[in-house]
Amino acid sequence: MNLQNFKDAFYVALRGRVAAGNAARTSVVRGVVRPGVIAVENELPGGAADGVAPVDAFCLRWTGLRTESAGLVATTCEIRYATDGLQSGAGMNRGRALAAMDDELRAALNGAPQWTELAPGGARVFWSEIAFGHVVMRSERMERTATVEVFGYE
Amino acid sequence: MNEAPVVRRVRAFFAPVDRVAGVGTVWDPATGFNVDAPPAPWLDLGWCNGFTRKSGTKIEALVAGAPGVAVGQVRTAVEAEVHLEFDHWGKLQMALSAGSQQMNVLAGKTGVAANGSGGVAVGAVVLVAGSTASALNVGAAAGFLVGDLVVVDADYSGQLGFVGSGVSGGYVRAALSDVDYVRRVSLNVGRVATVANGVLGLEAPLLAGAPATGMKVSKVVGFCDREGGGFFQEWSGLFVMDGEQRGRVVVHYPRLQTMSGAAEAREGLVGATVKTAMERWRLAGSFRALPVKDASDGETVVCFRSYLPG
Repeated sequence: MNLQNFKDAFYVALRGRVAAGNAARTSVVRGVVRPGVIAVENELPGGAADGVAPVDAFCLRWTGLRTESAGLVATTCEIRYATDGLQSGAGMNRGRALAAMDDELRAALNGAPQWTELAPGGARVFWSEIAFGHVVMRSERMERTATVEVFGYE
Repeated sequence: MNEAPVVRRVRAFFAPVDRVAGVGTVWDPATGFNVDAPPAPWLDLGWCNGFTRKSGTKIEALVAGAPGVAVGQVRTAVEAEVHLEFDHWGKLQMALSAGSQQMNVLAGKTGVAANGSGGVAVGAVVLVAGSTASALNVGAAAGFLVGDLVVVDADYSGQLGFVGSGVSGGYVRAALSDVDYVRRVSLNVGRVATVANGVLGLEAPLLAGAPATGMKVSKVVGFCDREGGGFFQEWSGLFVMDGEQRGRVVVHYPRLQTMSGAAEAREGLVGATVKTAMERWRLAGSFRALPVKDASDGETVVCFRSYLPG
């Protein structure tokens, strides 16, 4: 399995599942409305230096890479997301907005099946339960990083 | 050749054993198995943790000559054990892991002598004709409510031997005087989901199917098991491990008998930052496999392990 295919398959699966759970989770990137799941490394350099711009979207970064036994490859995917809350609530609903994103991500990744296929009937990419990090406050912006281990065979 | 399966969890399934004949339910790997809709009579026991199986089969060398030289091998004993912890508490899980009879605590009469597994019960309700496995016709005045647990089984009237409909829940050695005894040990239990026009709609069909003539319904307020007792629960077990790359491993024990008393495995809850004393209590069970004959060649075996490549 090509490592880029592996990463792409996970990204596509997550993007589809988040959109299925909340079709309104979108983000405008370079003037185009897209599902709110963004692979940071595929965007313009500097556009997401902290990994959480834009807000109200899930931003993926691939960090760890290991080769397990028998050709099993394990990668670590950090999913960072942040919110200022909704304008309609003058930002006073930012805790609820973050909780909603937590729920969407949990439903997308912890729901069965926890795998996706590179092609119909083809090799699978599968992943661990998701681990949520602490909330980080940047001024009034709330951010969280969740981590998931993604596996596949070479 | 396929990679060693990567398995996330083990899912357990139950089927009854005919205790009188000593015949378990046999699963044929050629027929497949839908874990989300298990074929009758298999019932889902849910996910389990700590599933381990241990072969106790003894293989010894046949030694000949001087000095002795191993010239062959022989099996001197065939034995296997299974250990697991259930993720869920329910009647079946409790019964299997209880080690002995698992008693339904029947709603009791007021003013009767106290008893550890429940005192004299209120009178059972006679089933009216037309009842099915999931709809109990009890009449309008029976007093059952949505959410009630009920047990459906025959009166005890002097039976000896295995008792309990669908699955044997106990063994009577000498005649008893409690008319509700069969309903106390029966696994034919359900939860009332609806009540309408004197008919109790159950959340799931009764394990024993449509009630036989003469069966009655008692309200169950809880479950009770005991350390001690003279009965061994026995069941057919199927443990399914789906590999993340499609391959499936199924371990099938046509006859499993409990080999330990009631026990729990405790697991501390992991808080994000605050240490907590809270623990999750899982039902833990240990089972010994009993033999069956494989129809293919008549061999006596205790377990079948099947690998179904993806």
